[in-house]
Amino acid sequence: MKIYLKFDFQTICKKVLEDTLLAHDIKHKVVGFGEVDLLEKLSPEKLNLLKETLNTYHIEMVENQKSILVQKIKDTIIDMVFNEDTVVNVKTSAYLADTLGHSYGYLSNLFSEVTYTSIENFIILQKIEYAKQLIINDNLSLTEIAFNLNYSSVAHLSTQFKNTTGITPSAFQRIITKRRELNQQQ
Amino acid sequence: MQEDYVNIILADDDEDDRMFFTDAFDELKIGTQVTTFKDGVYLMDYLNTDDCKLPHVLFLDLNMPRKSGLECLNEIKSNPKFNDVAIAIYSTSASEEDIERTFVQGANIYIKKPSSFKTLKKVLSEVVTTNWQYHTNGLNKDNFLLRL
Amino acid sequence: MPHRIYKAPWFIKSIFFTCSFVILIVGGITYRNMDNLSKSSNLVTHTYKVNVQLEQILSYLKDAETSQRGFIITNDPLYLEPYESGRENINNSFVELRELAKNNPTQQKNLKELNKLIDTRMDCFQKSFRFSAVTDLENPNFKEYFYDGKQAMDAVRVKIKDMIALENKLLNEQQETLQSNLKFTPIFLYVVLLMSLFLMYIAYSRIASNLKKLKTSNAQLKIFKESANLSEIVSHHGNWVWDVEEDTYTYSDNLYRLLGEEPNAFEPSLDKFMEFVHPKDVNKLKLDVEKMTETENLPFTYFRVVHKNGKVRHLKSFAKKMVNSEGKTQLIGTTADVSEETKSFRLLEERNLELERNNKELAAFNYVASHDLQEPLRKIQTFLSRLEEKDASKLSDSGITYIDRIKTAASRMRLLIDDLLQFSRTNKADKVFEKSNLNLLLEDAKQDLVEIITREKAIIHTDKFPIIKVIPFQIQQLFANLISNSIKYKTKDRIPEIHITYSKIKASEDANLKKTKKTFYHKITFTDNGIGFDNAYAEKIFVLFNRLHNKEDYSGTGIGLSICKKIVENHKGFIIAHGTPNVGAVFTIYLPTK
Repeated sequence: MKIYLKFDFQTICKKVLEDTLLAHDIKHKVVGFGEVDLLEKLSPEKLNLLKETLNTYHIEMVENQKSILVQKIKDTIIDMVFNEDTVVNVKTSAYLADTLGHSYGYLSNLFSEVTYTSIENFIILQKIEYAKQLIINDNLSLTEIAFNLNYSSVAHLSTQFKNTTGITPSAFQRIITKRRELNQQQ
Repeated sequence: MQEDYVNIILADDDEDDRMFFTDAFDELKIGTQVTTFKDGVYLMDYLNTDDCKLPHVLFLDLNMPRKSGLECLNEIKSNPKFNDVAIAIYSTSASEEDIERTFVQGANIYIKKPSSFKTLKKVLSEVVTTNWQYHTNGLNKDNFLLRL
Repeated sequence: MPHRIYKAPWFIKSIFFTCSFVILIVGGITYRNMDNLSKSSNLVTHTYKVNVQLEQILSYLKDAETSQRGFIITNDPLYLEPYESGRENINNSFVELRELAKNNPTQQKNLKELNKLIDTRMDCFQKSFRFSAVTDLENPNFKEYFYDGKQAMDAVRVKIKDMIALENKLLNEQQETLQSNLKFTPIFLYVVLLMSLFLMYIAYSRIASNLKKLKTSNAQLKIFKESANLSEIVSHHGNWVWDVEEDTYTYSDNLYRLLGEEPNAFEPSLDKFMEFVHPKDVNKLKLDVEKMTETENLPFTYFRVVHKNGKVRHLKSFAKKMVNSEGKTQLIGTTADVSEETKSFRLLEERNLELERNNKELAAFNYVASHDLQEPLRKIQTFLSRLEEKDASKLSDSGITYIDRIKTAASRMRLLIDDLLQFSRTNKADKVFEKSNLNLLLEDAKQDLVEIITREKAIIHTDKFPIIKVIPFQIQQLFANLISNSIKYKTKDRIPEIHITYSKIKASEDANLKKTKKTFYHKITFTDNGIGFDNAYAEKIFVLFNRLHNKEDYSGTGIGLSICKKIVENHKGFIIAHGTPNVGAVFTIYLPTK
């Protein structure tokens, strides 16, 4: 015997979602497709359990729309800083807005909200991290590093390095070298 | 999944300093859980228990009775269990040389205890956010040096 | 004569040999001459004898002739007697002549001829005797015989004459050769003798002068010995000689005194000496002496001796092997009393330790004081900030003013404590010198001051610096202090501008380095366009807590430049300030190149 069925996936999904949430005793309000407002704060354990149950239906819990965007911003910035092939001629703000399809103001606010830091700070942090990497691994002079990272001068790089880390590039190099020597001794 | 608060431990023998420290975090709008210890021995006893919750950032005062901050630092650095713990030296001012030495011995952060509460809050918030960056962005922790 | 030869040690010897040689020659020549003389007199005698015998033979022949004639006239045999004896005598003379002429073949031949002639004559005599005046004088045979006799006689005469002439000629010839030999010898001998006399005179003068010198050096030696004795007493040391082969010791007078004894109080020997050595040092010294016997050398060795009166003295010995002119091995040793030195050295050492301890304590006190003072001050400041933040609204206006005043005072105190702490840190001795790039240190110093530099828009011009061995943190501190000093004392109407220059200089070419030890220096100058200062205070500004300005106008503590001076002194260098009011100040740093 053969029967033919007609599905409404949205309703099924909604039903499964609601049943699962009810089973976990979570007060909620389904906002729309793929978006549920939880009316209470879940403990990490409870949240994990929910995630696992949903996974059995192959429903994946997208953790945070905002986090996704923030992650995209971060990825773009890291690509900009670390990948020398990505030549950025326009301003970073414009480039980010273009690439991600949101206004820079929105991105900036979102970023600060999620990461407790600004996009500008994040760029600086990444650049300094890259500078650290170059200082340690490539034995480049500060002049070369400043040029690679688009700094106008060594002094500018030094100042930003010091502002970010509290120590000068040469002190940083000294510390890492001595640390390695110490580790080799042990 | 990440916990949504930052776990912080401070070992300092000075009661006032412990108070400033916890007050500052209370006033900061960051989800933190701060635990304090009176000296290095209490701290290490706690850290060496099996089910202890490792802090994200461990603040060490250098001058403590029984076990100094440097002794704690060396113990922690020689135990791979604490590899992920960022260590902040939290001390009265020292010479440039002494500061560099603590970095060489494995400290990530050196904080000269500030003389205003406002600065203290600013400094602590910077420590937590920078650490958060390292934590969340997969940066090379070996390069994590911060002096405030 | 060159002075060098005159002084040469072989000079006298060679003169001695020359003179001996000369005397030998003179002796030889004299002997030969004497020999010649006696030879010549022998010759004369010989000739004389030959001549006499020849004359005698003639005379005997004449006697025989006379006797023959007498017999012939008288026929008396009485007259025959001389003839008879004449025959005998002629024979005798002939024997003699033969003997005399045995070395002369010509004369031998002549003698034979003469003999024949005489025989002929004698034969004529024999034949003539048969005739006499009484009988037959008119006999022609007689006449013939007589005539033959006369002929023979004449021949004999001629022969003898010839022989005498020959003998005389021989004599003359030989005399002449002998005479000619003798003629030059006196002059030669005289010259040679004069020469040796001269040589002997030189030798004498040389010996005499040597003798004089020997006397002087002997006298000096005596003085030296005396002064050595005196100096031994003054410098508390004594000498000894150990004759290795005979194992005997000789002590100088003062060595006995070092042992608390009178000079020559006992027979010097090793065992006797050991009796004086402190019981605790005996074994060590014995070991050293054993080594000395083996290696024939004694390095510096220290030990104590106990005098009879119980006094303990510290002695130091040192010896060296020497082989004397007779080939004997000797150990020449010196022993000195170093009790006073040991005592003062100990005292100095103790004082040094004390000083070091005091210094350390002072540094530690300074450090602890300034370090520990920070804590309560920081708390005061933090509580003030909390009070201001939380309860400012509850305070009266004067309360707020008071809090402001407290804050200012606390800040000032912080500045002082920070500087003091820094000063005490530069005092710590255990600083490590490292090869450092001065450019980087200066860059770091500027980084440290980045806030104030940006705020004041200060312009800093820098030279290229070399890499030198310094205490990096201190040099960075030095640079930072000098730059901040220049900016702090800027004029109100000029942007601070600092020129930092470098050059390597020779100490002798810089007026400021006239009395320094090192040859080369790094010279670093900081020239600013600030308010400067009266050069009369050029040295005073480096003194701790010394300030030229009111603290309301300029926020110095009077420690910064003292720190600079301290740092430069830690590097064994110099810092010199030169100021011109309202033009600027120049700080010059000299660091030795090594």
